[in-house]
Amino acid sequence: MTRSLLVLGAISLAALILALAIGSVNIAPSELWAVIQGEGSALHRTLLLDLRLPRTLAAFATGGLLAVAGALMQVLLRNPLADPYVLGLSGGAAVGALLAMLTGMGAFVISGSAFAGAMLAMVLVFGLAHGTGSWTASRLLLTGVVVAAGWGAVITLMLAVTPSYKLPGMLYWLMGDVSYARTPWPALVVLIFAIAVILPLARNLNVLARGPMQAAALGVSVRPLEWTIYVLASLLTATAVTTAGSIGFVGLIVPHMLRLVLGNDQRIILPASALAGGTLLVLADTLARTVIAPEQLPVGVITALLGVPTFLYLLHRSR
Amino acid sequence: MTKQKAVALLLSLMLLAPFGIAAPVCVKDDQGAELCLDHPAKRIATLSPGATELAFAAGAGDKVVAVVNYSDYPEAALKLPLVGNHTRIDLEALLALKPDLVITWRTGNPPAQMEMLRALGLPMFAIEPRTFEGVSKVIEQLSILAGTEKEGFAEAERFRKGIAVIAKQYRDAEPIPVFYQVWQTPLMTINDNHLIGKVIRLCGGVNVFGDMPRLVPRISAEVVLETDPHAIITGSVEGAEDNQLDRWKSYTGMTAVAKNNLFFVPASPISRPTPRLLEASRDICQRLDVARERE
Repeated sequence: MTRSLLVLGAISLAALILALAIGSVNIAPSELWAVIQGEGSALHRTLLLDLRLPRTLAAFATGGLLAVAGALMQVLLRNPLADPYVLGLSGGAAVGALLAMLTGMGAFVISGSAFAGAMLAMVLVFGLAHGTGSWTASRLLLTGVVVAAGWGAVITLMLAVTPSYKLPGMLYWLMGDVSYARTPWPALVVLIFAIAVILPLARNLNVLARGPMQAAALGVSVRPLEWTIYVLASLLTATAVTTAGSIGFVGLIVPHMLRLVLGNDQRIILPASALAGGTLLVLADTLARTVIAPEQLPVGVITALLGVPTFLYLLHRSR
Repeated sequence: MTKQKAVALLLSLMLLAPFGIAAPVCVKDDQGAELCLDHPAKRIATLSPGATELAFAAGAGDKVVAVVNYSDYPEAALKLPLVGNHTRIDLEALLALKPDLVITWRTGNPPAQMEMLRALGLPMFAIEPRTFEGVSKVIEQLSILAGTEKEGFAEAERFRKGIAVIAKQYRDAEPIPVFYQVWQTPLMTINDNHLIGKVIRLCGGVNVFGDMPRLVPRISAEVVLETDPHAIITGSVEGAEDNQLDRWKSYTGMTAVAKNNLFFVPASPISRPTPRLLEASRDICQRLDVARERE
């Protein structure tokens, strides 16, 4: 168990170093080392410390957040098709962010608005799914999907009425872009905090995955655990979307890829998702900013193009 | 320092000035924000095709070191290093070219990236001319920032005079209702605050959507039919006829269609806030004259 985590950790570190070295200006390892020691040319220092390091750390944190959120959603809803956005969180965040862009607000208000939108979406779905009677996974899923469609309609409306010069900015936000992240620290802190909170509960999550009845029979307090997962997954998704817009694919596929290789023990899958999701997004972002440089691609395009063949290969191999 | 020594120092500095000894330059942009450089810029980055043209017009073309996509005029600009698209800049490539002045497009460049460049301490000058005088002013301002005042001010004056000549020529021209089609799907036009709208007015045309509140309104075909313009103009590659106005041809009841007043002008000169607006204005005025003859 720890061995697979250590291997993943090593791969993550290698990906991070690769991302720092490669870009429109390639920085050799010796120059990297010089900058870390405090020397190195002014250009390399600016590139590395002001541009690449925050961006790479933000990519890692966002990938980790999305993958863990996806894993948690898949446990909560007991549905392999669940991803962090299925309950409308990214839709709510998008409406918040686009509203802020429409009214000409600065980057800080846009992020805050996105976060507020995601939290509103979380409360909305929770409140609507509650209703009278029990709060089942399928009821939550259905409510979430319908509310997500509602957010989608509002987004389409906003895109239709916005002045043309604001459109590219909004579209790029919707496609997801790690370069928006001004600082990676909120995302990293939230990720570490979430892992710290959820790891002790991972055993109970394993039991919950078998079904609420069996879990209750085995002594797991099901309702509080489900609420905890819901709020935590929402927080992770909201932070990820606030940092880098709605990047698709990572949350859905990374947990499945890991399950094919490592089995379905949440005690491994959750931390592994953080590492693997982060690595995937760091590699995808490195490609996105270099493959047709100086043109910049949105990272969501690369995650899908990289992830789909990888997943199909793993699926094929596991048969 | 004695008075004589001070005068001697001042005189010697003035004598040295023509040799380009570094002197600070300060310019205020159109929103009143002031930019001061320690010395005239030597490495200029232009983050829009219009800014590239304006930099060359100001005489600073040989100082431009970084441009974005579609910086295709003048021809010398085609050889310059690219740093991405005006909506998405490759910040690393831009920084690697070590610019000491960045000309930005106030509404066209992404605000998040502009904030990042500002935080990195790059001197930035935002432009967005909305009038002919604004275009002249920007050329003069850029020439001050680049230390090429002689060429820049001359070009600005040439543009001013050119526009004044056209204005005088068409002051008493018969007004003619015009529809300018910016884009086909969605159907977009411009109001009178846009430079294109000002060109139409310069030529004695009346933009049928001139008083719409939005700068670039999205309208429906019905509204165009309702306003019944006498001429429809759109921009195309080098002014060649293409299929952008085909959709109107079936509405033979429209005055513009009945009189065959569907005109194409070169898209690039009219869409950019640069001295090429002079040629663009002459093109549009000529088309409107044709339309007037057919009235």
